[in-house]
Amino acid sequence: MRYRVRHTTTYAYSSAVSVCHNKLHLCPRQCRHQTCSFHELLLFPEAPVVSRSGDYFGNPVTFFTLQEPHWALTMTANSIVEITPLELPPLAVSAAWEDARDGLRHDRSAEGLEAVQFVFDSPYVAASPELLAYAESSFTPRRPLLEAVRDLTERIHAEFTYDPGATAVNTPLGDVMRHRRGVCQDFAHLQIGCLRALGLAVRYVSGYLVTQSSGPNPLIGAEASHAWLSVYCPGHGWVDVDPTNNMWPSDRHITVAIGRDYGDVSPIKGVFLGGGNHTMEVAVDVMPMPL
Amino acid sequence: MAHHVTTREAAGAVRSGLFAGYGVPTGSYDETFAGDGEPRPHWRKVVQTLEDMGHGELAHCWQQARRMIHENGVTYNVYDDARGMERPWELDPLPWVIGPAEWACLEAALAQRARLLNAMLADVYGPQRLLAEGLLPPELVFAHPGFLRPCHGLIVPNDCYLHVYAADLARTPDGHWWVLADRAQSPAGSGYALENRQVLSSILPEALRDCQVQRLASYFAALRQTLHDVATRHRDNPRIVLLTPGPYNETYFEHAYLARYLGYTLVEGGDLTVRDERVYLKTLAGLQPVDVILRRLDDTFCDPLELNQASLLGTAGLLQAVRAGNVSVVNALGSGWLESAALMPFLPALCRRLLDEELALPSAPTWWCGDADSLAYVLDHVEELVVMPMRSGAGRDMVRGDRLSRDERREMVDMVRGRPHEYAAQQHLSLSSLPVWNGVGVQPRQTVLRTYAVAARDTYKVMSGGLTRVSANAGPPALSMQDDSGSKDTWVLCEGEPDTLTLLPPAGQPIALRRSGYDFPSRAADNLFWIGRHSERAEGLVRLLRSLLIRLNDESGLKSSTAFPVLFRAVQTWGFGHLTMPGNQPDDLASRAAALFTILSDPQAAHSVRAILGTLHRVAATVRDYMTLESWRIITHLDEDFNRPPLANHVERLPDALALIDHTIMMLSAFSGLMEENMVRGPEWHFLDLGRRLERAAHTTGLLRSTLVDADDREGSILEALLEIGDSSITYRSRYLTTLQCVPVLDLLLTDDSNPRAVVYQLVRLADHVERLPRDRAMPSLSPAQRRVMAMLTRLRLGEVEVLCQIGRNGRRGHLETALSELQADFSGLSDTITHHYLSHAELTRHLALTGG
Repeated sequence: MRYRVRHTTTYAYSSAVSVCHNKLHLCPRQCRHQTCSFHELLLFPEAPVVSRSGDYFGNPVTFFTLQEPHWALTMTANSIVEITPLELPPLAVSAAWEDARDGLRHDRSAEGLEAVQFVFDSPYVAASPELLAYAESSFTPRRPLLEAVRDLTERIHAEFTYDPGATAVNTPLGDVMRHRRGVCQDFAHLQIGCLRALGLAVRYVSGYLVTQSSGPNPLIGAEASHAWLSVYCPGHGWVDVDPTNNMWPSDRHITVAIGRDYGDVSPIKGVFLGGGNHTMEVAVDVMPMPL
Repeated sequence: MAHHVTTREAAGAVRSGLFAGYGVPTGSYDETFAGDGEPRPHWRKVVQTLEDMGHGELAHCWQQARRMIHENGVTYNVYDDARGMERPWELDPLPWVIGPAEWACLEAALAQRARLLNAMLADVYGPQRLLAEGLLPPELVFAHPGFLRPCHGLIVPNDCYLHVYAADLARTPDGHWWVLADRAQSPAGSGYALENRQVLSSILPEALRDCQVQRLASYFAALRQTLHDVATRHRDNPRIVLLTPGPYNETYFEHAYLARYLGYTLVEGGDLTVRDERVYLKTLAGLQPVDVILRRLDDTFCDPLELNQASLLGTAGLLQAVRAGNVSVVNALGSGWLESAALMPFLPALCRRLLDEELALPSAPTWWCGDADSLAYVLDHVEELVVMPMRSGAGRDMVRGDRLSRDERREMVDMVRGRPHEYAAQQHLSLSSLPVWNGVGVQPRQTVLRTYAVAARDTYKVMSGGLTRVSANAGPPALSMQDDSGSKDTWVLCEGEPDTLTLLPPAGQPIALRRSGYDFPSRAADNLFWIGRHSERAEGLVRLLRSLLIRLNDESGLKSSTAFPVLFRAVQTWGFGHLTMPGNQPDDLASRAAALFTILSDPQAAHSVRAILGTLHRVAATVRDYMTLESWRIITHLDEDFNRPPLANHVERLPDALALIDHTIMMLSAFSGLMEENMVRGPEWHFLDLGRRLERAAHTTGLLRSTLVDADDREGSILEALLEIGDSSITYRSRYLTTLQCVPVLDLLLTDDSNPRAVVYQLVRLADHVERLPRDRAMPSLSPAQRRVMAMLTRLRLGEVEVLCQIGRNGRRGHLETALSELQADFSGLSDTITHHYLSHAELTRHLALTGG
């Protein structure tokens, strides 16, 4: 599939901002199943210095600075990505989850070291006895890893309510667990925490979801940023899973960036001087394109 | 472990004099005296010299030294010290002496360790081969909060990440040296070591010379050279700044001291700004490019954009400027990772791999609990160990196993067992002792030596000396400087003549004359402006209070004088609108007194004299390096005077209040006098006086408006009070004798430009200041501030006092009201213009709202 993505973010300030520095994760990364054939970032006002580089996890990152007073800032990222459907290995033949865990412990291959960094706690996701207990009923002894992951995903989907009003970016995982409510980002963090509590390598994926509405006449603005996760399955590599929609992503999930958690890949980080109060609007359109 | 102190009684060795009765703890290593009670060979000369001095002379010298420490303002800030923010630096007069042969070994070993640690940083922030080869467990990198991913792959000049390194060393009873902790971000203490040496060289100059003690200056010269060499731009004359977290940091004194000694500008994160991926210093003369930052700020705080978002101390965009190769940060960002004691067990193998050498100086025995065998050992031997989180080195967040109760120990064992890779444990060592002088005798104290090394081309230059810390009591000294411990100078002896290098220019060499100082950060200008405003505001308020206080009673003692209510209305406009006007009956004396006590010294009142003086002290602390010692002392004393137990809020204590007010007025006058006479007329002075003049003009205008607009037949007593507050009674009497009338009083306080208390006089001074402020000389017209002052001055000079004093039918002086309220608005506009034009950096840093899915 080929998609065109437009992601527009607008900030408006109550008084002038004299300087602002920004770090963006808005350019879709290259993956095994995904290439980004076009990307542009339109800024208004225009920035004198825009730098692109790659971050620690290999995601494209853009820095820019505005150094003239401004009252509003609009960032529009236009991208074209091509995705081949992800193939899911047969669940039942994946390694027992204990073997996946133990294999990582002494694996010093490049791929193993790449994976092992995602076993540990990260700023937004700390493993806890609670999370471990929740995960364990899916991870019975010697169960094939992907089967157990599917079971856990189903349980999260069934037992947690999608509720955009329930949480904010900084809501701790303990609260999500207690209230059983949240958004895609919370569910991704939750499942990452569960799997890491077991000693598995899991990473956070931020991107876009192509919803049903994107047909021949897509609804503008119906899509938004989405988040899911990816679990390391020795022998197969990384396998994506989306607890919010209880599914294995195939060709309707567009990956932008991967990291340990939201903090590593938040789409926009900005620090500004002045400005008073500010408001933000985000609009994301994803449109299928002919190949 | 208890130490039994026994008096040395080795045959024939019982000393008399200074060291009489000195007892060496059994089972420990004494640095000064060998087992036979004789001084160790390299100590002989020093011990002899000190014994020749005896208690009397030492005490005399010591008194001088203490005064010097106090007067130099050497302090160490302790965050939660009940004695307030600053604690005087504790220095013992007896040095630690280390012989040349032993030092040569330590020197080589420290340089080796620094090379090793630097190579580790280069690997971890680069190819990470040590992980692939299994020499470092992945947990110690990937699960380590000190491993900063945004710093990976940063290119550093000359492959040097670790420019300044410090190690805490100690000696055990068997005579062996150990490293207790590695300091790798921005090691503290070298400035205190320098200060200690300066104090000792003033009290023991002969001893220092006779004993052939190496000087410290060559270390600092090497540091300067290194900082110069890491500049990527302006290589012949790079701008180097010392970045401090600010005056509330524990070692702020040292930051200011080192900046001055090395000749760099001391800056806070807010003084720097990043434009076009370059770092600039905001000065009054505009943005000045910065090439090298010597940081005393922990790495995670340096950039709120990419590192700790909550940091208010850093500079947004700094990392991107480093990435672009436009600025060098010393030590490289991310070096804090090295400080972790959990790395110590891996150093011997890493040294073989990275340097192809054996590690010369061992670390104190340390176990990383992520290793199964080590974990088992640690859990079995908790009471002999110091347990600490993976991220920290010795000294921070550590728990001594032998100090735990049984329950606490069980709790800790569970914690470690739950996440073993997050903990390390270090053997608790018994440390060597040194004699410490307490004024009458000497006692043994355990000791730790912090040594320093600075990168110098391919190796490291080790400071010939260091900061010796001794325990405050018979126990071991704290590794962190936060804890109560004393310090000593460290004397490294040399064979032959010590070098005579000094960083001060040689006496004979001519110095190029300058008429202005170095970079003057806008923040300092801002703070000096506010020092001027606050000190003047405090003076204005106490003067008004004094007039109120002496008018509390009329002669009969029953009623307050007629001026009291009018003056009270005036004081209400100083932020006391909520205070109700006390009644005027004899019974109301108590409530009148209570109101005055609130304004003077109520700790709860936001605008009281006490609050203003507190603010003044805080603001002054941020620009201490621009103030003379005397003026700083006045400000400190004033704040202390008000922070004593508050005056009992009682009529009986009114005389005490009056005494305090008089004292405060005197001190504030002394402060203004010092500023007037002792400050060079540079931008510092212009900003300070600008604040002062603006404040005096504004509050004098306000006072005239609230007292004279409503005409009163019995105005005499009000006019008298106004002259008193304006310190102009004598002038008035010499001109007009005793006839009090509104016109001459108003002339004296408003339009007489020969009276330093008159509003017009303030405007004349303001006009001079704004004329001299830096501005774009290419612009042909006047600056906005100049234009404003000139318009005000002209208007005031053209106004006729007689007209202003005319009373309308409604009993009000309408012209006066209009003129004064216009003036008031103009003064506040002028303050805004100045702030906006010169000091606008003081904006808040904010983060964009986070977006989520």
